[in-house]
Amino acid sequence: MLLFRSEEWIDKWCERNNIARGEALTIKQVWELSKLWYHNRLSLDYHGRNIEQVAEIFKQAGLTSDFWFA
Amino acid sequence: MDDTLLWQIRHFVYQHFADTTHPPSVDITAAHFDITTEEAGEYYKELHNRHAFFLDLEPLTVRMANPFSGIPTDFKVHANDKTYYANCAWDMLGIPAALHTDAVIEAVCTESGETVQLEIRDGQITNYQSTNSQLLIHFPLPFARWYDDLTFT
Repeated sequence: MLLFRSEEWIDKWCERNNIARGEALTIKQVWELSKLWYHNRLSLDYHGRNIEQVAEIFKQAGLTSDFWFA
Repeated sequence: MDDTLLWQIRHFVYQHFADTTHPPSVDITAAHFDITTEEAGEYYKELHNRHAFFLDLEPLTVRMANPFSGIPTDFKVHANDKTYYANCAWDMLGIPAALHTDAVIEAVCTESGETVQLEIRDGQITNYQSTNSQLLIHFPLPFARWYDDLTFT
């Protein structure tokens, strides 16, 4: 996942690299997602997540389009 | 394979990243758990297969233990008097989230090449310059394909 100044820069990068455009989130959206996704990553009890747990995190972060479905 | 030891090794790798900013070698992990280097290598490979972290195989090294990167990148995170490297723009925010700490982040915008700085303080993004108001993170692949090619993702 890469950082861009604006939508226009994403379009330029996708075109130059012949890559289909994915989804762009604001830095604040990704910060909220990061807190949900990584808050327990250093715990001994963290053994990964199943699909249902991932779906719940995306839902809590407001990411509900097909792009975020497993 | 001992499943309890497997997850203890995962935890040790992550804690080593947090403490030192880089991953433990297989030798260091073997010594810590009093097992052979070959055994430690097998545990590393099993954790790689379970997506717990991502290895370079020659030599056997932890390349990514998300959000931490084992190699320098364009995404630097200054926290706890250390400088970490993140694997990507998402992971640069993942490091302060994982460490539960404030951080100053320096990152390079793809395509424009500009460097931007962000600050995480008390769980919020602060020092958020108005010129950064349109900063976006692009996810090129849908979630269902993230593990097809983790380096690209």
